[in-house]
Amino acid sequence: MSDIAAPIARTALSFPGPLRTVDGWETTARHATGGLRLTDLGPLVKLTVRGPADGSVRTALGTSFGRTARPRGGPLAGALVVGSGPGEWLVLGAPGTGGELLAGVGAIVADSGEFASVVDVTHGRALVRLTGEAAPLLLSKVCAIDLTDRVVPNGSAFRSSVARVVTDVVRDDRADGAARTRSYLLHCERSSGQYLADSLVDAGIEYGIEVGAAAADPI
Amino acid sequence: MTRPGARRRAAADHRLGARPGEVIDRSRTIEFRWNGVTHTAHPGDTIASALAAAGVRMFARSYKYHRPRGLLTADIFDPGAILQVGDEPNVRAAHRLVEPGMDVRSQNTWPSLRYDVKAVNQLAGRFLATGFYYKTFIKPERLWPTYEKVLRQFVHAGEVPPDSEQPYFDKRYAHPDVLVAGGGPAGLAAALSAARAGARVMLVEQEHQLGGHLRWGDADDLRLRDELVAAVEAEAGIEVLTDSVVAARYDDNWLALVQRGLPHVAERLIKARAGTLVVAAGLIERPYVFAGNDLPGVMLSTAVRRLLNLYAVRPGRRAVVFTANPEGDAAAADLRAAGVDVVEVDARHGRTVVRATGRGGVEAVELSDGSRIEADLLVTAIGWTAPTSLLNMSGANPVYRPDAARFVPDPGATPDGVIAVGGIAGDGTREELVAHAEAAGREAAARASALAAVHAAGRPDGPAATPRPAEPVPALGLRHHPELFYATPTGGFVDMSEDVSAKDILTAVKEGYDSSELVKRYTTATMGPAQGKLETVNTVALVAHATGKTIAETGATTWRPMYTPITLGALAGRKFEPVRHSPVQPWHEAHKATPLIAGQWIRPEHYGDPAAEVRNVRAGVGIIDVTPIGKLDLQGPDVPKLLNLLYVNKWSKLGIGRVRYGVMCAEDGVVLDDGVTGRLAENHYLMSTTSSGAGTVWEWAENWLQTEHPEWQIHITPVTTAFASINVAGPKSRELLARLTDVDLDNTAFGYMNVRTGTIAGVDNCVLWRIGFTGELSYELHVPASYGLHVWEALMATGADLGIAPFGVEAQRILRLEKGHFIVGQDTDGLTKAYSAGLDRVVKLDKSDFAGKPELAWQAARGEYPMLVGLRPLDTSVIPEEASQIISDGGYIVGRITSSRLSPTLGHPICLGQVDAHLADPGTRLTVRLRNGSDTTVEVTAEHAHFDPEGERQRV
Repeated sequence: MSDIAAPIARTALSFPGPLRTVDGWETTARHATGGLRLTDLGPLVKLTVRGPADGSVRTALGTSFGRTARPRGGPLAGALVVGSGPGEWLVLGAPGTGGELLAGVGAIVADSGEFASVVDVTHGRALVRLTGEAAPLLLSKVCAIDLTDRVVPNGSAFRSSVARVVTDVVRDDRADGAARTRSYLLHCERSSGQYLADSLVDAGIEYGIEVGAAAADPI
Repeated sequence: MTRPGARRRAAADHRLGARPGEVIDRSRTIEFRWNGVTHTAHPGDTIASALAAAGVRMFARSYKYHRPRGLLTADIFDPGAILQVGDEPNVRAAHRLVEPGMDVRSQNTWPSLRYDVKAVNQLAGRFLATGFYYKTFIKPERLWPTYEKVLRQFVHAGEVPPDSEQPYFDKRYAHPDVLVAGGGPAGLAAALSAARAGARVMLVEQEHQLGGHLRWGDADDLRLRDELVAAVEAEAGIEVLTDSVVAARYDDNWLALVQRGLPHVAERLIKARAGTLVVAAGLIERPYVFAGNDLPGVMLSTAVRRLLNLYAVRPGRRAVVFTANPEGDAAAADLRAAGVDVVEVDARHGRTVVRATGRGGVEAVELSDGSRIEADLLVTAIGWTAPTSLLNMSGANPVYRPDAARFVPDPGATPDGVIAVGGIAGDGTREELVAHAEAAGREAAARASALAAVHAAGRPDGPAATPRPAEPVPALGLRHHPELFYATPTGGFVDMSEDVSAKDILTAVKEGYDSSELVKRYTTATMGPAQGKLETVNTVALVAHATGKTIAETGATTWRPMYTPITLGALAGRKFEPVRHSPVQPWHEAHKATPLIAGQWIRPEHYGDPAAEVRNVRAGVGIIDVTPIGKLDLQGPDVPKLLNLLYVNKWSKLGIGRVRYGVMCAEDGVVLDDGVTGRLAENHYLMSTTSSGAGTVWEWAENWLQTEHPEWQIHITPVTTAFASINVAGPKSRELLARLTDVDLDNTAFGYMNVRTGTIAGVDNCVLWRIGFTGELSYELHVPASYGLHVWEALMATGADLGIAPFGVEAQRILRLEKGHFIVGQDTDGLTKAYSAGLDRVVKLDKSDFAGKPELAWQAARGEYPMLVGLRPLDTSVIPEEASQIISDGGYIVGRITSSRLSPTLGHPICLGQVDAHLADPGTRLTVRLRNGSDTTVEVTAEHAHFDPEGERQRV
C-alpha cells in the first residue's frame, strides 16, 4: 500500500477561523468567552442502542425514554446515557473511548438475554452543545417545544424538529460549583449538522452567540 | 440627512409646550421628508404626529373617490394615514415612529397629494356605486385583461419596487401560562396579579408604550399608569412585548402574535400556546356618520387627546366638540387647556352635528338646530366599539346591549381558557376596573396552573391531577350611553378605508343584501385595513335601520383571524430550508464543482466537462461522491424475512460477504425503490437505497415491522451519513484501490457482487462493495464519514499517475444510461409496475409472499403493459428531450422518452423510454414529437444497455 498521511477525522461542522487537531480530530480552535456559546462536540463517541423499552437493557443503561443518566461506575462510567426514544438510547462518551464503550454496551446487550443491538454512529451524527442562559430563548426561535423547567427539566430529552431538522435535544446543564448554567445538547444526522449549526448561530445573533468552547468541555 | 436641493418646511407651529405625559424627546431633533419636503420631528413622534405638528392636515386620498383624508383616530387603525415609507408601502403613519432620513410619501396620488387627478372619480360617483365591480366588469369576458390593467391603475396601495431589499422576518415560539392581550390598566393589573400568583405571563401591547388610555389622561391617570408600569417592569415573571399584536386565536389558545420594533428584524411571528388568554383589548372609539365626516379635521376625541397629551400637538385652533360621554368632555377640557377655542355640542342634551363643510378640510360645522359654527376641527365622542375579535375567535359571539350602545362579550359563551377584562368586559371606575382585572389575573393563573397539572398527569410517571373547575370572575357593570351612530341614514361615510357611504349600505339592502354578512361582502364595508373596528357597528346600525330590525336582531359580522392586517412576510416568518452536505463537500467547492440541488442534498453535478468525465471512467479511473445513497443498518435473526417481504426477488440464501441487487414495489406493484443489500455477518446486513428514497424505504420497512410483524427480531438504524460513500470506477480502479487497502482485490478473492470490510487509506471499519452503476469495474467504498475527506484526498493523490479524475452526477447519469440502468422516479413513474420496468427476471412470483405480489401476478397474467425499452435516434444529430412524447397510430400518444443523452462513448444519442407493449419489439421504429414541434424517428434496441450489454467490463 502507498504511504499516506495519518487519517484525520473531521466533524460535520466547519467555521471560519483557525483549526486544531486533538486526538486525530480536526475542529475549530475558536475560543468562546461570552454568555452564550455553541460548541462542536462532534468527536464524542456516539452509540445508539435498541432494545425493549422496559427490560434488563434499560435497567443496565439506567434510564428510559425522555431522561438521561450518568453512570458513576461500571462499563458506562463517565458516559452520558440518553433515553432518546421508546426502547432507544444514545450513549455519549469522551473522544477516543469508542472501543471500550462499544465493548461495554455490547456486553450489556449480550448479557441481557433480550433482543437488543448497538450501532456506532460516531461518524454519522452531528453533536453540538448550546450553553448559556439565553439558550432557551434562542431555541424558541427554531423549536416549538416548551423548554421551561416544568416541561423540560435538567436531565430530560426529547426528539423534535429544530429548524426543520429532526434533532435529539438533551437538557444537560453545566455545573460550576453551586452555579448552574443552562445547556443543551443537540444531536442530528451528520449531513444536516452544518445547516443546524448555522441556523442556531443565525438565531443566536441577537443574544450574542459565539462559536467555540469556553474551556475544556467535558461531555 | 437632507437630500441636496430638497425643500425644507419651516419649524413646527402646532407644537405645544411640554405636557406631563408626552412621549417625545425634545432634546433631539431629527429630519425626514414628506412628499419631497424636509420636516423635523422629535424621537418618539409618529410620522403623523410630526406632520400634524407641522400643520399638515391632509395625509392621503381616499380609496375610491380620492377624497382628501386626514387623521381620524391618530393610532394604528387610522384609515387616513396609510403612507409609503421608502420601499415599504401601506405604513400606518399614525403608529410608525419617525426615523432620521425617512422618505415618506402619499400613495396613489398623481401628480400630487394636493392636486390629485384621480379625484375626478368624485364626479363619476354615480357610476362607482355599491357593487360596481360586480355590475360593470362582467361582459364581454374577453375584455377582462383590459379591465384588469385599468383597475390596477386605481389600486389604492403603495409600491414595492422590484429591487427592494428583502427584510428579515423572524419566528419564535412561546408557552406562557397567561397571555394578556392589551397593556392598558386592566391588562397591566391582570398581568401583575397573574404573575404574583406564580404564572409566567406574556403581556402584549399594540402601542409603543404601556398604559392604554391612562397615558393621555389626567394626573390621577398618569399616576396609576406609572405605578402599574413600574410594577410590571419589576416583575420577573412578565415578558412585555410592545408594538406587538395578538393577531389570532385558534383552538386551545394557539395564538399568533406579531412583534415589531426589533433591531434588524422587520417583524417576528410568535406562535404562542397560552394556558389562559386574558383579553384586555380596551375599547375603540366609534366614528359618527354624517355628511362631510371624512373631511380632514374631523377627529375622534381619543385622537385629539393623543395628539395633545402624547405628542404635544395642537390639532386645530377652533374646535367643535360633539360629545356624548365624559371622555368627550375631557377632550374639550384638554383642548381648552391647550389654547384652542372650543364649542361643545352635547348629545346628551339632544344636540347633534349633521354636517361638516370645507374645501380640503373642515371649515364649518352645521348642527341639527340649523346653526353653523366656523371651526377647523370637529371632535366626535359618541360611543365605543368593543374589539371582541379574539373572543369571537374563541367561539364567543358578542351580544348587543342597547343601554350601553355597544356589543359586549357573552361570558356564558366564553371558554374557560379565555377571560375578558377592562373596557371590553364592562365599565367602572379606575379602581373597579383594576380590581376586576386583578381578580381575573389570579383566576387566569389558577386556570393555567390547573391545565398544566392535567398535562403533567398525562406524562409517564406524571403526578395525578385533580380537575379544578373554573371559577367565574365577577362581571363588570355597564355604563349607560346614548345610541348614536349616524346623523341621517343617507349622509357621510361608514367605511373610510373602503369609501363606503351610508347611502351605499341602504342601496345594498334595497338590492336584497339584507344581512350584515351580505352587505359586508357586497359593499366591502368593514373589509379594509381597519377590519371593521371603526365601521362594523355603524354598518350594522344602518342595516338595521334599512331592514327595520333592531341592532341585536341584525347582529354583527364575524370577526375572523387576523385581528389586524399583518404582512405576508410575517406569516412566512423565517425561512428554514435544510440542506445536506457530504463530508467531501469542502473539496467539491474548492475544485469549482457545479452544484446540483437534489432534494435537500447539494451534490457536484460536474467539474467542468461531464463528457470528459465519462471518457475518463471508461478509459482509466474516476471517483464520484455518492454519500447520499441511502444506507440502513439491519440487525437481527429475522432480517431475511424482511428482505423477502420488501424485495420482489429472493434473499433467503444470501451468504455472508455477498451482495444482491433488489427491487421494492408498493402494494400496487409500482416500483418503489431499488438498491443492493450486503450481508456483513450472520445477523448483520447493510441495505442501500436510492438517494431520494432513503427516508421512504426506512419508513416503509418500519411500517411493515411495527404494524404487520412486530414479532420479528429486527432493528433498523439509518446510517446514510455515518458513511462517506465513494464509487471508484473504471478499468484502473482495482490498481488504484490496491494501493490503499488491505483487502484482497483479486477477482477470485473479491468478485463481482461481493462485500468486504477492511482498511482504506489507514481508516478502519470501511465497507467495500464490488458493484457499480457505471458498467465498469468499480468499487463502492463506504468510509466512516469523518474520514470521508481524508480517503477522497488519498484516492486523488494516489491515483494521479493513473489519470484519476472526479466525476459528477451528470457523468454518472450518462454512464448508467449507456449501461441501460433505469433510475427509479425518472424512467419509472407512479404507475410503472415491475414488469413494465423490464424486471421479469427479478420478480419471483414463486415466493410465498412479498409486497406487491398480487398486483404483479395480475400484471404478468394480463400482459399488454407499457414497457421500458432502449431507444436509438436514427438522426444522430437529434437528442430528444426527456419527457418528449412518442406518438404513433395516427397521432396518439403511445409513450415518452424517459432519459436521453449524447453518449460520449458511442458518439450518438441514446435513450430509454416507455412505450405501449405492441411497440416494444426490437427494431420497431417510433416517432418522437420534439419540443419545437418537429418529429424524429427512434428505433427500439434489443437491450436497455447501449454499451457492453453482456456486462463483461464490470466482471473482470
